[in-house]
Amino acid sequence: MINDFDYIAPKTLKETLTLLDQYREDYKIIAGGQSLLIMMRQGLIKPNYLIDIHGISELNYIKTDFKKRLRIGALTTHRAIERSPVIKKSFSVLAEMENRLASVQTRNWGSIGGNLCHGDPAGDPAPVLIALNATLTITGVHGERNILVEDFFLDYFETVLEHGELLSEIQVPTIPSNTGIAYTKFNVIESDMAIVGVAISITLTSKDGHCEDVRIVLANSAPKPMRAKQAEDLLRGKKITDHLLKKAGEISSDEADPISDIHASAEYRRELVKVLVKRVGEEAITRAKKS
Amino acid sequence: MRKELRLTVNGQPYELYVKPKTLLVEVLRNNLGLTGTKRSCESSSCGVCTVILNGMAVKSCSILALQADGAEITTVEGLANDGKLHPLQRAFLDYGAYQCGFCTAGMLTSAKALLDENTKPTEEQIREAIDGNICRCTGYNSIIRAMTAVMNGEYKEEK
Amino acid sequence: MSDQYAVIGKSHIKVDGHAKVTGSAKYTFDMVLPNMLYGKILRSPHPHAKILKIDTSLAEKMIGVKAIVTGKDTLGHKNGPWRRFPELCDEEILCREKVRYIGDPVAAVAAVDEDTAEAAIDLIDVEYELLQAVFDPLEAMKEGAPKLHEHAERNINVTRRIEWGDVNEAFEKCDYILEDQFHTSSQAHLCMETHGAIADFGYDGKLTVWTSTQSNYYIQVLLAGMLGMREGDVRVIKPPSGGGFGSKFELDSAQFCSALLSQKLRRPVKIILTREEEFTATKRKTPMYYYVKVGAQKNGTLLAKEVRVVTEGGAYTAMGSTALYLTGFYSCMPYKWAHYRYDGYRVYTNTAPTSALRGFGAPQAYFAGESMIDMLAAEMKMDSIEIRRKNAVTPHYEVPGQAYIQSCGLNECYDAIEKYMKGRWKLPPNRGIGIGNYAFMSGGIFNWFNTPYAFSAAMVKINIDGKVDLFTGACDTGQGSDTTLAMICAEELGVHLEDIRVHAEDTDLGPADLGSWGSRETLMNGNAVKMAAADAKRQLLEFAYAKMKPNVVYDLDIKDHKIYMVDRPERYVSYFDIVSDVIRAKEGQTIIGRGHYTPHRKGMVSPAWSFGVQAVEVEVDPETGKVKLIEIVTAHDCGQVINPIGVLGQVEGATMLAAGGAFCEDQPMDNGKILNPSIGDYKVLRSVDMPKTVGIEVDTYEPEGPFGAKEAGEGLTSSTAGAMANAVYNAVSVRIRDLPITPGKVLKALKEKKEKGKKEK
Repeated sequence: MINDFDYIAPKTLKETLTLLDQYREDYKIIAGGQSLLIMMRQGLIKPNYLIDIHGISELNYIKTDFKKRLRIGALTTHRAIERSPVIKKSFSVLAEMENRLASVQTRNWGSIGGNLCHGDPAGDPAPVLIALNATLTITGVHGERNILVEDFFLDYFETVLEHGELLSEIQVPTIPSNTGIAYTKFNVIESDMAIVGVAISITLTSKDGHCEDVRIVLANSAPKPMRAKQAEDLLRGKKITDHLLKKAGEISSDEADPISDIHASAEYRRELVKVLVKRVGEEAITRAKKS
Repeated sequence: MRKELRLTVNGQPYELYVKPKTLLVEVLRNNLGLTGTKRSCESSSCGVCTVILNGMAVKSCSILALQADGAEITTVEGLANDGKLHPLQRAFLDYGAYQCGFCTAGMLTSAKALLDENTKPTEEQIREAIDGNICRCTGYNSIIRAMTAVMNGEYKEEK
Repeated sequence: MSDQYAVIGKSHIKVDGHAKVTGSAKYTFDMVLPNMLYGKILRSPHPHAKILKIDTSLAEKMIGVKAIVTGKDTLGHKNGPWRRFPELCDEEILCREKVRYIGDPVAAVAAVDEDTAEAAIDLIDVEYELLQAVFDPLEAMKEGAPKLHEHAERNINVTRRIEWGDVNEAFEKCDYILEDQFHTSSQAHLCMETHGAIADFGYDGKLTVWTSTQSNYYIQVLLAGMLGMREGDVRVIKPPSGGGFGSKFELDSAQFCSALLSQKLRRPVKIILTREEEFTATKRKTPMYYYVKVGAQKNGTLLAKEVRVVTEGGAYTAMGSTALYLTGFYSCMPYKWAHYRYDGYRVYTNTAPTSALRGFGAPQAYFAGESMIDMLAAEMKMDSIEIRRKNAVTPHYEVPGQAYIQSCGLNECYDAIEKYMKGRWKLPPNRGIGIGNYAFMSGGIFNWFNTPYAFSAAMVKINIDGKVDLFTGACDTGQGSDTTLAMICAEELGVHLEDIRVHAEDTDLGPADLGSWGSRETLMNGNAVKMAAADAKRQLLEFAYAKMKPNVVYDLDIKDHKIYMVDRPERYVSYFDIVSDVIRAKEGQTIIGRGHYTPHRKGMVSPAWSFGVQAVEVEVDPETGKVKLIEIVTAHDCGQVINPIGVLGQVEGATMLAAGGAFCEDQPMDNGKILNPSIGDYKVLRSVDMPKTVGIEVDTYEPEGPFGAKEAGEGLTSSTAGAMANAVYNAVSVRIRDLPITPGKVLKALKEKKEKGKKEK
């Protein structure tokens, strides 16, 4: 049962920040509410004040800047990202990921910022953004700060956002040439959240096709989306062979720290990490060679 | 404290006062008596509450009514026009694309939203459009056939 | 042959279609009555406990709370559908002294709105004395296990034996013997409309209940019993209903608690179960431990089968007794076992009660049975269809002492599957096709409900303008019985489907009928409807005959509103004219036809049997164990198809439910607590997950059925799990014996196989 709360719907970012500062610990922000409302209906979250930022159009945009960086307003819906011509052309892995996120209805209303702030380690956008080396802008009444997406998460459903702050923008740098990025999630029902998800970005050197840079990101394999850095170290600078990818999978699996729950055991999740890192790595290399 | 809510539902404007915690589905069903849209889960997973809001299929159980302030909403009751069934409704009848009928409103609004957005979707896109809608009776395939028939132009709007 | 029929055998838009596609159908969920209150139920958080004290004082003081009831407000009767055996009527519903599962109702509140009722529930203070609980039936059967019910030693609720021949002797004669064990899982019905009821107890002492149900007659009788009322003073009305699948033909907590509250207040009270209550506190599929031994001879004959089943009964009997028997019956089908023995034990456990779910014991029996047949076939080096065909039941076979089969299209089903699958058996690696088959009942014979009424009854009323009112007790929960019965009526009476209006919801208006479960409606109700229509038709034909004054004795019949001479169809009179004439001739009396049906001398189980053969194609990912469903083809025999589009819907819907039960649906528990009581956590197939489904009807004629028709829709759920297990084996050579067939289990089995292979090298 949802509790009774006071509701305010600011129209601008400035207005919002003032409200956040005013209500300190007493508020919750609602954007699309696709995660928040479920928790409120179950009585798990009972705010006194609900600040509805859904209508703040200045936070809803997809654009590229002069550096060809992709800049996405935090309130941009998943559906807008999925269908954006700019993203489909130059950052297609984002559009692919959004296409597999939940259902059309959820994507039409839910925002990418809301998804990130929910902090679910099984969420789809985070691992892909981390693989893309994306950054975030957090805005508070006293100013802004920028951090890497991978530094945004602290623990299960916990982010670095303090009271008085809100996530305002996501930036994705241009993808270097000879880079391929792929993402897949494993589930039994296709639209379900990931039992385990893996996003990998591989940049090959133009000269000899060795791995110049790599990011291996695991979802739902730890309390937060994590990079399998030891596995990355294995691959960096080398010519990536099937055997090496298999080894990277094994190391990623050892690095992972998954839980056992009703959907899968920790042991099975580790097996999935092994297999998915290998497969997603192969896909990333194929894309890198094509790019 | 109640707040003012204005929305247009099936072409008709409404002015209401609702508590902030009221969900859009509650306004539609309880305040406006449009019981075609249903509820069936508390986890935003089943899709029977789907309506079209500003042209988009959304789950009305997962939207606060106040968030829909100023919006144009179409429910299943708004699909027929002047007493004439919408092509999707006729196709659902012909293809037996319903059994108990509890998910049908949500299926129809999801289908309508797809049709309005994309008149020639692939089978994959048709399946994706209703992937957020659970049906326990039909096994989905008859619904896909009905939607496909409409999207292939086999049903024209009746004037 | 469908060409000879005017109405049946052709697809028709269902009679409730327009209401459903326009959103105008009003379900119990939608109904609001003037002066109505809303109820909520407080349920036990403990699996096994004594209720020491219930303090409702704080809740009573809440503004908006109008009444609270507990077990003390009941008559203390115990309820159960197996009325023939009073010791199996063991459920108080609103518990008085003891709770036996997490979710067992303890109190109910009526308030001005749902939020108030929900808040009031939280203020009721219950003092429990915790008791030791037991969750697994094998543990519950042991000496010293906590006892759920006083009358049940070692928690054994029901036992069943079915036997013929001498299995021990027969095994001595077998050239091949296999022994194995299986485990089947829980499954939730997941009706899209949850259980719910609106009860309105009038000052005249009469009760009306609107409820989503598969049998308004059962609810009427059971509710009257629990309230100490005369049956006739309880009226049960079924509005359009959002699904049943076996979950809604027993008296449930929403119906009972709303009636109690309304009785106290003399105002309507509405209780709709939440989705969480639906998962945790309504009946579910019966999990089973299944031990089986089969023996066959060199010549390919299946000779002996021995089965021992221990089922997880949950806290109360519910319909578990029938499920236990049917599991035993289906375990011998659809083959001619010369020697057979089944011992079934239903065991009480401190978990949510298990009962009937589409298939009613058959899916469990066929999962194990069809897996064993494939294993035998492999041993005997026989093809999987060949071994089945050789041993399948045939028309006019008698299952010794149990059932007599008239029509049987199994052979034709094998032909159809072989034809469809021709050229497809050679598959790339990790892909496999598995076969399963089934026989299924068309309504049950055993009168466990202990009613003197006919199993089905119907009444047809022809109005002056030729429009027909059809009164039945059949409950359409989406499976299309209203339409099927209207079509049968229209065919018999020679009118159009549009002329018929079905009245099937109201115990006051219609004849008693045992309801929609066990696949009874098409055959049993269909026969009653056909008889009623024939009775009304006779009254028209008598008059028409006198009017037409044929020279020779000609038969008359009616088709397309024409009453015609069968041998000279060009001679006819108008149905409408004759209707009008008959009414005048009878001094203005309405034309009424009556019909009923109860099976006679048809054995112990069912008057007719449907059959099917299913081929399931899967692809297994050997690195993750994920099973992808590619295609499910079912060739089935349901006798004369009444509404083809309805039957196709049953084929596809049954596939979704059965496939779900086979590979992703389950209710894991921890100390009796269901861990996934929400959609999302409970996994169901969605549109993207559905494989290609194909239904092939084979043509047979069942003499016992109306126009030769039999059931279609429940049997279709039975063979999928077994066929899928066989397909997985054929794909990657691992056999899963524990449902559901999850990726984790498949991967584990693959690894174990690999390890075993390494050791053997």
